[in-house]
Amino acid sequence: MTMILRNLLPLAVALALGTGGAKAADLAAGQAKAKEVCAACHGVDGNSPSPDFPKLAGQHGDYLAKALRDYKAGTRKNAIMAGFAGALSAKDIDNLAAYYGSQPPVLAAKY
Amino acid sequence: MIKISVLLVPALAIAAAGTALAQGAPAGDPAKGSQKVQMCQGCHGIEGWRTAFPEVYRVPKIAGQHQAYLVKALQAYKSGERTHPSMRAIAASLSDNDMADLAAYYAQAGLKTAVK
Repeated sequence: MTMILRNLLPLAVALALGTGGAKAADLAAGQAKAKEVCAACHGVDGNSPSPDFPKLAGQHGDYLAKALRDYKAGTRKNAIMAGFAGALSAKDIDNLAAYYGSQPPVLAAKY
Repeated sequence: MIKISVLLVPALAIAAAGTALAQGAPAGDPAKGSQKVQMCQGCHGIEGWRTAFPEVYRVPKIAGQHQAYLVKALQAYKSGERTHPSMRAIAASLSDNDMADLAAYYAQAGLKTAVK
């Protein structure tokens, strides 16, 4: 029983966080916004075809949301992303972060 | 899901490595990079690991990321364009060759994941 809990608990936590925790993100709205704003560089599914632009597929949603908030606020400085992130609402950011975080991962926590 | 990423990562890593070479930056040696990951693995090698300061969120996954982008990110921390305190301190200690080696290492497949 303990073993089962130990195995399941991180999964449950990851699932809860992956969807934005208390605020339910709208994946369909995130996908629509991704197609409109992000896909040209990062790909619709987050598999960026260009080595200069990061892959986002399966990245942690909370990290993606923080990155977008920082670009919007100007605390992370990038001329391209400042323009795109500046036009996003807080809800757009939550939806986009959840959408790209939900795509089949090409990234991993490894060493 | 895991199977898909196992198949995709090598193909993408090879594609990324090819384009990074074309840009005139140090090519990066994954074998040398593997000797330089001590500062990285304690956060980026553990699934679900979180930052502690100044804001708490899950540490980004970097294994399988584009090599050229990883170098850009490290350079941005070194220059102060990106501000995370721990990453600024770490990147400040890295040479261009260190960054290229680490990026080449993390862009490849077959790395290990630590467990909490």
